[in-house]
Amino acid sequence: MEQPLFCHRRGAEAVLTLQPNTSISIAYHPRFGPHDDLILLELDEKLIPDILHERVTLRGQPDEDAVLCTQLKTYAVKFVGTSNSVFLIPPSDQSVSHEKPLDCDEKDHDKMVIASVIKVAPGSMELIEVAPRLDKLKLLLSENPYGADEVIEVEDLEGMEKINTGLYRWDDLIERVQASDEELRSGLRALSAVEIDGYWRIVDEKYMDGILNMLFHNLILNDWSYNALNEDEVVGVLELDGYPRKVACHCLQVYASKVDGVASGSCLWKLDEKRVCLHFARGILRGGKKKMESFMEEWIRKVPEGMQVNFNMLEGEVLIEKLGIESWVYAFSVSSLPSTPADRFSILFRERQKWEWKDLHPYIRDLSVPGLSSDGLLLKYTRRTQPTLDAEPVFSAR
Amino acid sequence: MQIKVKCSCGEGNCPEWAIVELQGVVEAQPAVQDRLQNLEIGVLCRSSSQGNYTFTVGYHELTGSKVPLKKPMLVLKKIKLLGANEKTESESSRVELEVIGIIRHRILFKARPKALISSSHPNVKERMGAPGFLVPNE
Repeated sequence: MEQPLFCHRRGAEAVLTLQPNTSISIAYHPRFGPHDDLILLELDEKLIPDILHERVTLRGQPDEDAVLCTQLKTYAVKFVGTSNSVFLIPPSDQSVSHEKPLDCDEKDHDKMVIASVIKVAPGSMELIEVAPRLDKLKLLLSENPYGADEVIEVEDLEGMEKINTGLYRWDDLIERVQASDEELRSGLRALSAVEIDGYWRIVDEKYMDGILNMLFHNLILNDWSYNALNEDEVVGVLELDGYPRKVACHCLQVYASKVDGVASGSCLWKLDEKRVCLHFARGILRGGKKKMESFMEEWIRKVPEGMQVNFNMLEGEVLIEKLGIESWVYAFSVSSLPSTPADRFSILFRERQKWEWKDLHPYIRDLSVPGLSSDGLLLKYTRRTQPTLDAEPVFSAR
Repeated sequence: MQIKVKCSCGEGNCPEWAIVELQGVVEAQPAVQDRLQNLEIGVLCRSSSQGNYTFTVGYHELTGSKVPLKKPMLVLKKIKLLGANEKTESESSRVELEVIGIIRHRILFKARPKALISSSHPNVKERMGAPGFLVPNE
């Protein structure tokens, strides 16, 4: 007796394993319909393990275009329609086979195998890798920066609920920011954000001024070395001045780096000259533009003894404006600019119509668009002119 | 908000779905348009030579082949989760996407269909009120 083959299978496997010289009937499934809840998603083979292991989510607010996030990357999701008829055939439903397998002869048409179409797909979703949308992160964390008010509030409102407006935990940020976990962590690092009481906070600049000033005051008082600050000593002194421990530690992390290879005991930190000098420069320019000479004089004076200022430290942070014979300097920080290329270039060209490469570069080197090189970015968003062969090329808006 | 993509298949165990794809639209006769379920669309045959496939819909015969997809496709099902106290779907009900299948191949028909002059073709099964006829895309 021959083994009956493919009798009354009603599914995809019958189509996919169809043998030469055999036929099957394709019919509409008993439950054929629009099935709008069935979606096709096209994706690279390498993403399949992430999806199958449930490491992928869609993120975004109802009014935003959805993005798909793995643990590392973010992808825009686009629907691509088709004018073809795409008949979707599911595998046979093992639970619904009422008939016993019958002996079946391929030539016996009355018992031909049927494969059923559950839906005609109008198209499928495709993924395009995109840069994470982190501008929103800065916006959210700027709603309620951590500052002096905070500390006072806590002391005065003993027993009262702190009003939690503009405060976001990690889980709140995940719900609102269209970025993968890794990209979100990286974005928080880039903003020098710190987690306090479970909420992610940006520290108010003036408040940070205060901490740094206290640190330098004590540095001189205690004759500490810039290159070997003892963590316990520093944090201890700042705590005595009323700064929360978390914030004191954060200050070290932002303005210093850990010294490696220290034997057991307290950690040692080395102040980062560039970050410290930049901090003081920003403080000086907070009130508006200053004449170059006045600025430099004030900057050298304010910077801690032993540290050397260098105008290069300010690239991507300040711009120079020539008014007549005088040069004026003002704050213009790349960190205050949008991270999407179109918006970034738009603001840059509004600030200044023409840019030389050496001035432009610090303001665009952090832009990242998957699939577009930095040359590609320039090509796409700028017009390059070069008056003479010896002259510097100049970039302006397209 | 987050929509989780879930999968209860386990790696490598995702059920494989199939696609039969035509350039054109299959139209049903008006009499049966609203009751398509269970009606036959056509007959799919695999020839002996080189794995060519033919798909006969009404009096049209299409020729095609089984093609691996350049990129695999997942079949996702949107599932609305009701909260503990919700009896009906509302704006606040959460949504999940469940992976219920994977597609790696399709049987693609892109050549112009051949009209079968004779109505008694050995591979076409005559049925009462054969419901389909093929309208090719131009």
